[in-house]
Amino acid sequence: MSGCGNCFCIALAISNAITNFCESVPPEKKALWHQEMEWLLSDSDHIVELIPSWQTFLDESKLEDLMINSDKREMLADQAESLLLCLKQLFPGLPHTTLDMSKIQYNKASSKKLISREEWEKRLKLNNVKIRKEDMNKLVMNFLVTEGYVEAAEKFRMESGTHPDIDLATITDRMAVKKAVQCGNVEDAIEKINDLNPEILDTNPQLFFQLQQQRLIELIRNGKVEEALEFAQEELAPRGEENQSFLEELERTISLLVFEDTSNCPVGELLDISQRLKTATEVNAAVLTSQSHEKDPKLPSLLKMLIWAQNQLDKKAAYPCINDLSNARLEDPTF
Amino acid sequence: MNSSNTNNGQSNNGKSSRLDGINRDLGLYFLELSRLRSSAAPTEMEEDEEEAPKELNTINSSGGFLVVAPDKLSVKYTTVNLHGHDVGVVQANKPAPVKRLLYYFEIYVKDAGAKGQIAIGFTNEGFKMRRQPGWEVNSCGYHGDDGLLYRGQGKGDAFGPTYTTGDTVGGGINYASQEFFFTKNGVLVGTVCKEKEMKGRLFPTIAVHSQNEEVHVNFGQKKFAFDLKEYEAQERLKRQMTIEKISLPPNISYGLVRSYLLHYGYEDTLNSFDLASKSTIPPVYIAQENGFDEQDIGYALNQRKILRQLIRNGEIDAAISKLRDWYPQIVQVGALEEAVKYGRIELAKFFRLAGFDDLVQDCVALLAYEHPQESCVGYLLEESQRDLVADTVNAMILSTNPNTQDMEGCLQSYLERLLRQLTACCLERRSANGEQGEAFLLRRVL
Repeated sequence: MSGCGNCFCIALAISNAITNFCESVPPEKKALWHQEMEWLLSDSDHIVELIPSWQTFLDESKLEDLMINSDKREMLADQAESLLLCLKQLFPGLPHTTLDMSKIQYNKASSKKLISREEWEKRLKLNNVKIRKEDMNKLVMNFLVTEGYVEAAEKFRMESGTHPDIDLATITDRMAVKKAVQCGNVEDAIEKINDLNPEILDTNPQLFFQLQQQRLIELIRNGKVEEALEFAQEELAPRGEENQSFLEELERTISLLVFEDTSNCPVGELLDISQRLKTATEVNAAVLTSQSHEKDPKLPSLLKMLIWAQNQLDKKAAYPCINDLSNARLEDPTF
Repeated sequence: MNSSNTNNGQSNNGKSSRLDGINRDLGLYFLELSRLRSSAAPTEMEEDEEEAPKELNTINSSGGFLVVAPDKLSVKYTTVNLHGHDVGVVQANKPAPVKRLLYYFEIYVKDAGAKGQIAIGFTNEGFKMRRQPGWEVNSCGYHGDDGLLYRGQGKGDAFGPTYTTGDTVGGGINYASQEFFFTKNGVLVGTVCKEKEMKGRLFPTIAVHSQNEEVHVNFGQKKFAFDLKEYEAQERLKRQMTIEKISLPPNISYGLVRSYLLHYGYEDTLNSFDLASKSTIPPVYIAQENGFDEQDIGYALNQRKILRQLIRNGEIDAAISKLRDWYPQIVQVGALEEAVKYGRIELAKFFRLAGFDDLVQDCVALLAYEHPQESCVGYLLEESQRDLVADTVNAMILSTNPNTQDMEGCLQSYLERLLRQLTACCLERRSANGEQGEAFLLRRVL
């Protein structure tokens, strides 16, 4: 048999059931049925010409058009459905659940299990799927704290009773640093970082260089050419000597001075505000790390995990998923 | 749930029966939550319930060829081997537990005997106990004499070094990546794919096959030579890195936090949050593009906030009276007038509105204790319960919003729904894998 496994069993079982139940069926038709089942169970991969006779046998029910020359597996899945439809009509008294199509349908391409919406919602209500309010509160607090929303975190502490996992006072300091960088006040930012913890920049030469580079960019942006060159020579050139990548970055930045129209030049992106933001994010992360706190909030990771988990499950089953995270709406399963 | 529910002379005339039905549903929902709170989370218990192997199984071992020590943690080959069907094989007393990321055990080769034909691996329940693990289907084994890995056939694959007297060799299963892995003297030797056919209960297995071979086994009672924790951490990290690469729509976390605050009525936090967002660089835009329908969950925000505060502070009476003013349809005035002198019973009545009849029983019992906090029903007075009450009231108010389309919206914030979906997907996937692997536990992440 060409590996259809389940489809065969279903089709066979149903076929037997029907032949046993349908006593009113004339013997010739019964024989035809048996013959056709034999053909289906044969080793060949393609069956042609079978469909028309199949349809006449079950001519009372309305069947979908079956394709000819189709893959046997696909056809068996179709046949199983048709047989079920037929059973439903022949025996209207049977309880609905017995002939619930959604429980027996298969994804014709890859035999994935189908979980109906009803079934899935039952699973979502199970005990071991419960999410505690305290845990969600912690997640929200973690977000507020890591992203630096101090006042909101404080209010949330009061309104929900959740304790932040970091001292709120340190957030204000950290945000001040971040803001300084975002506004281009690099000197100020560096001073603040050192006030917070001088070790941060000491142990992070990459970050320090990035800040110095930003300072250079700001000088250039403000047209202070002489100052910029002086700064580059005194502060940045020595760094460039120690480190090849620093040197390259330095050269890129200096080249801004060469271009008249900086918006079109190859290194124009350095002047863009996104460069400041990038540096600001790095600074934020470094400060958090120095405070033994994770630098990223946990919520985005969980959302990514959800997307990943849904993709993984998608390989094995067709089930209701949430495609739009912003409204958490369950979409019906599709094949 | 109880059929002898709310109808204690309180008539439901004149109140919409739809609202009653909804409130009963909400009440039942929160009742369940409250019950579950007092016991450990079921998933937590489940993870512990699985028994791990502790010793060797002396009942089904190939008795004629080996002898197991009285402590059931070591084995010795007793005869002289003559052919391929007189291997001394012994399995652990329990199969490897599956509801976790990894399982691992080690052997110590006390004596490699005449030919050093020792093996460590995994076999299934019906394994032929006279053959080396790996020589039969549904088994795998890493053999000491040739360093090959056998996976169900007489011929093995090149895998790692041989091992002999004095070596500590470990074997493990990685359920996440569906692999077997083996170690020697604390160092990972290699991994190999665990074929689908090897699903089902697998037993840690060791084998000895030549005169005087002796092997000791460690199921975790002693420290392993291999740093399992480190390996586990690395595996988790690997998966984490794959997940981190996934991209999210912009500002989605921001939006979800915002709708969470709106949903539960944390008004002050929300205002601070909005204020701060305006001055972030770059400013955060969520508006309509992400489909957040503030309209509905901003409903009655201020009132919900006030009620939550009152309840959290234990001012139940004040809460009830405000509720009566603002949402008379929720508070069945008749029931409250009947209320008893004791504040605690009134609390119970408040619960009764939502159908918390069982809780009422507990409340009455509470009165009997001198130190109610320490009684088994003391949980009702806990601060954590107040949050539950506040959530119930919150949901009930949201349900009065004429724009509410479905009850789901009142019960669960978007964030909760997403987390539930995540949990359910992981569970379903695990079940599709024959129950192997870890479930998702939010607590573990936090």
